[in-house]
Amino acid sequence: MSAVAFKPNQGERGASVVLRHITRSFGTNAVLEGVDLEVKPGEFVAIVGQSGSGKSTLLRIIAGLDDAYEGSLTIGSMKGQKTAARIMYQEPRLLPWASVIDNVAFGLGPQASRHQAFAQARVALDAVGLGDRGGEWPEVLSGGQKQRVALARALVSKPDLLVLDEPLGALDALTRIGMQSLLERVWLEQGFTAILVTHDVAEALTLADRVVLIENGQIALDLAIPFDRPRRRGAVRFGELEDQLLTALLKSKSKTEEYVI
Amino acid sequence: MSELTLGAVRHVNRKSGALASFFRISPKGLIPWLLPLGILVVWQASASFGALPPSILPAPFDVAKAAWRLLLSGELIANAAISFRRAISGLVVGGSIAFLFGLSNGLSRLSERSTDTTIQMVRNIPNLALIPLVILWFGIGEEAKLFLVSFGVFFPIYINTFHGIRTVDPQLVEMARSYGFKGFELFRRVILPGALPSILVGLRYALGIMWLTLIVAETIAAQSGLGYMAMSAREFMQTDVVVLAILIYALLGKLADGSVRIIERVTLSWHPAYRKGARL
Repeated sequence: MSAVAFKPNQGERGASVVLRHITRSFGTNAVLEGVDLEVKPGEFVAIVGQSGSGKSTLLRIIAGLDDAYEGSLTIGSMKGQKTAARIMYQEPRLLPWASVIDNVAFGLGPQASRHQAFAQARVALDAVGLGDRGGEWPEVLSGGQKQRVALARALVSKPDLLVLDEPLGALDALTRIGMQSLLERVWLEQGFTAILVTHDVAEALTLADRVVLIENGQIALDLAIPFDRPRRRGAVRFGELEDQLLTALLKSKSKTEEYVI
Repeated sequence: MSELTLGAVRHVNRKSGALASFFRISPKGLIPWLLPLGILVVWQASASFGALPPSILPAPFDVAKAAWRLLLSGELIANAAISFRRAISGLVVGGSIAFLFGLSNGLSRLSERSTDTTIQMVRNIPNLALIPLVILWFGIGEEAKLFLVSFGVFFPIYINTFHGIRTVDPQLVEMARSYGFKGFELFRRVILPGALPSILVGLRYALGIMWLTLIVAETIAAQSGLGYMAMSAREFMQTDVVVLAILIYALLGKLADGSVRIIERVTLSWHPAYRKGARL
């Protein structure tokens, strides 16, 4: 517990995110009920929860994809202006008719000048280790490579806030570990605020400064992760925390056991 | 930067590769032509041995002679050019109106609600059934042909444009919106390329209908064009010219279809189904 998380860049660039009493209902079904959450600039927060717990809904609200909520959401960058969140989805969502480099440049938005955009896209592609694949169609890439292109597209505009909706969920175990260290590396280098939704407790513990457990539309647990980076999954304390979190996650399931025969 | 230009060059290569592979004649590329060639041989043989009377079906050689004769007199070229111009103008007029309706109804629910039902009703009228009415309206002038061809090509292009736009992956649209794309830029970068495969399928259908409609219209009511050439040849019992006209229809149809295939290869080279080597 004495170890302090290694965050050399915290507060330099990231946006702060403040959620006040967020409530979101679909019809009569309240998915989120009064969620309060504060994310500090440059912090990496993981949101875990059962499927249907409302974690993806919360993420969509933070990302600006859903504005039919009650309560208040404030995203403030260090520069004082409001910034748009960048999103990584579970699917890469690359444009199949654009080359890899065009897909990355797409992340700069419609106003970007083509020449400038390409130069920046090159840098972003290099950062995810795909600098030599810019001229190819996305279709020829593997699943992990496509997600790396999607990451480059999200980062090319140098966002203050990156939200990730189970971006590694569809990858195989080995690729996922590689992607996790890539994510951690770019986060450490660039200092943006990251909010990750995942159902993988080990992934949350590997990456996040804080893990938030959502249960029945409310925050049930908010746990600071005190490990040094890079983190070792084999460590005893890591295992204990993983166990604690998993127990909490599984307990939240028992409330929906009305479906069990 | 050099990598960048390399990427661009690779693109160009891929596109010209699609063109090259279309025109390249390889042993495999000859297979589609074996059957027509075989039919031609059997046909010539049965005509030469007297099994086929020339008044029913002239020998291929006689048809070729008729082609040469009409080519020299300039009649063939003139008629083919007129038919071609009619076909293309009908396609352009009907196709662009259909494309605009398809876009508007695909993009806006209000527009769809206002016009789609009407279009679906009109769609079920066979366009050739309109010929008597069209003759009453326009006589046998160019307008009649333009109207009929435009009417015929409208529906396949409309339906496929509409369908293509509606089936663009909503996840891609959401992604693009989150990066600030909206309005025309969203349309140009995401919706149009996503709808293009379907639009081109509509174009292929439309080309078939285009020739069909035009030939029938020219056969019934015209004073020039390939259909007219065939009809007037019938009156003089020139079976060879009639057969020649029919063969030219087949050729024109193949030509039209081939040109859309080239457009598909070039514009859809990102699509696995249209890539080099993937024959449709």
